[in-house]
Amino acid sequence: MSLQVLIFSLLACVSILGALGVVIARNPVHSAIGLVLSFLNVAAIYLIARAEFLAVVQVIVYAGAVIVLVVFVTMLVHPDDLPEFHGRRPLRVATGLVLGVALLLEVAAAILTRSLYGAPGPWTDQTIAAVGGNTRALGQTLYSDYMLAIQLTALLLLAATIGAIVLARPEAVSERVAAARRTLTISLAHPRGLDQPELPPALPLPPDGQVKPAGGGRPIVLARSASEFTEQPAWGEWRTP
Amino acid sequence: MDWQRLLVSYFVGFVLLNVLLGLMAYMTWFERRVLARMQHRVGPNRTGPFGLLQPIADGIKLLAKEDIVPANADRLVFLVAPLLSFALAPLGAAVIPFGETLHLFGLEIPLLVADINVAVLYVLALGSIGVYGIILGGYASGNRYSLLGALRSTAQVISYELVLGLSLVGVFILAGSLSLQDILREQQRALVIGPLTLPNWYILSQPLAFALFLIAAVAETNRAPFDLPEAETELVAGYFTEYSGFRFSFYFLAEYINMIVVSLLAATLFLGGIDGPFVDGVWWLALKALFFLFFYVWLRATLPRFRYDQLMGLAWKVLLPLALLNIGLTGLVRLWGIGAL
Repeated sequence: MSLQVLIFSLLACVSILGALGVVIARNPVHSAIGLVLSFLNVAAIYLIARAEFLAVVQVIVYAGAVIVLVVFVTMLVHPDDLPEFHGRRPLRVATGLVLGVALLLEVAAAILTRSLYGAPGPWTDQTIAAVGGNTRALGQTLYSDYMLAIQLTALLLLAATIGAIVLARPEAVSERVAAARRTLTISLAHPRGLDQPELPPALPLPPDGQVKPAGGGRPIVLARSASEFTEQPAWGEWRTP
Repeated sequence: MDWQRLLVSYFVGFVLLNVLLGLMAYMTWFERRVLARMQHRVGPNRTGPFGLLQPIADGIKLLAKEDIVPANADRLVFLVAPLLSFALAPLGAAVIPFGETLHLFGLEIPLLVADINVAVLYVLALGSIGVYGIILGGYASGNRYSLLGALRSTAQVISYELVLGLSLVGVFILAGSLSLQDILREQQRALVIGPLTLPNWYILSQPLAFALFLIAAVAETNRAPFDLPEAETELVAGYFTEYSGFRFSFYFLAEYINMIVVSLLAATLFLGGIDGPFVDGVWWLALKALFFLFFYVWLRATLPRFRYDQLMGLAWKVLLPLALLNIGLTGLVRLWGIGAL
């Protein structure tokens, strides 16, 4: 028994350290790693409680899903923007602190008043052994007593899947691109005639065209059709007309 | 008594780990020899008889090489990522039963390290953690080609993991358990079709699931023809471009161990594992796994690499619907054919 408590304390400590790392780390990828560490230790705690199925599902669903977080961070957050990620915004910090303390108080109240404990359920060690193990007992309960909840969850996930497919449908995207083409062509190339003096200067900047600096000082030129642009890319040698 | 069982379990695990590491080294030799023979070359034949000392020479060479860390790498993550890949790879073998329980010196020695009742899910969970070694390595290298290789690998492994998991549901429905020991026990019964008496191996009752599992397993281990993450010709190698010396080899060793573990798993799930004619035993498992390993090399020698959109299209538009169909059919057979559990 004491060995179990020792292992539990170790796992709990590492889990809390991982959770702290999520908040403290300045690099979002390091935060994600801390999150995985925390989840894995929680899964190990489930294992100590002999909830093997729960532990494995915790790893597959939670720890496996953080990989998507890592992908998003590496794709969307530029390394130079990283210090901004945490920012020194006192209002946000204060809000987070208040919410965190409130949550902590709630959990503490729930534990201290023992409102988490209900009447003991029908499952004891004997009944579980009679059914043939933890996993089978869980499955039978889920698919008989909680059938409606399972089916509703499945329906919800199906709706989300269909939504994702509709959003990512190639026709939808190409239609939007075509619509954009009909009005304006967005290009990173030079407007024709700026750096090619031998061409007739028939095409100056379009009347409603704009030259405005975008990210990194790279100008975006709007024109009515692609034929108003040269093939030469604009970066590095842009000249204002 | 509990201590005794724990110690026996640790001992079996220790032996298994060492056998696995030795096998992994000789898997590289096996692959190079077979590949050479298929490509009408000779292969490594200078170091020792039949080149048998080649893996040792390779290991010494890699150990002696300089361990370079790029200047703009995320240093700690860069150093740990290959270790993560390598450490997770052999854990899958812990749940594979290698035979009946032995009785030696009054001790019960079960020939598997851990009898988990969700063994197959455990292997899948290991796979989903194993991707971290790849994506963190690619991210930490501070190199765009590495990052691209890592992202490809992530998308690929996540997609094919889905197919891998769903292809096994049919087996779970037939066996009524997630435990590998129960699945093995089910397969040791006889399957009688008219005058024929066949072993109840799931390759016979779940041929579609077997094909799906095989394809998904090749993709999951990042092997040809699904070796997009390490496409030398497009990505200057991929996620491990910046790695050198022994950290580089950790990724490769992890890949070879994964191949061995997946082969053992396929043999256990679909080909009856230790079950075989004459005398049941670990040799049948080894023979079946060896066939799958040969199959891996064979694929590499035969098929060109998939294009990336073909790879994703295959997973989502072909394999996933087939896996769902298989689940539906198996469920109906279970319900009307052999009756509910």
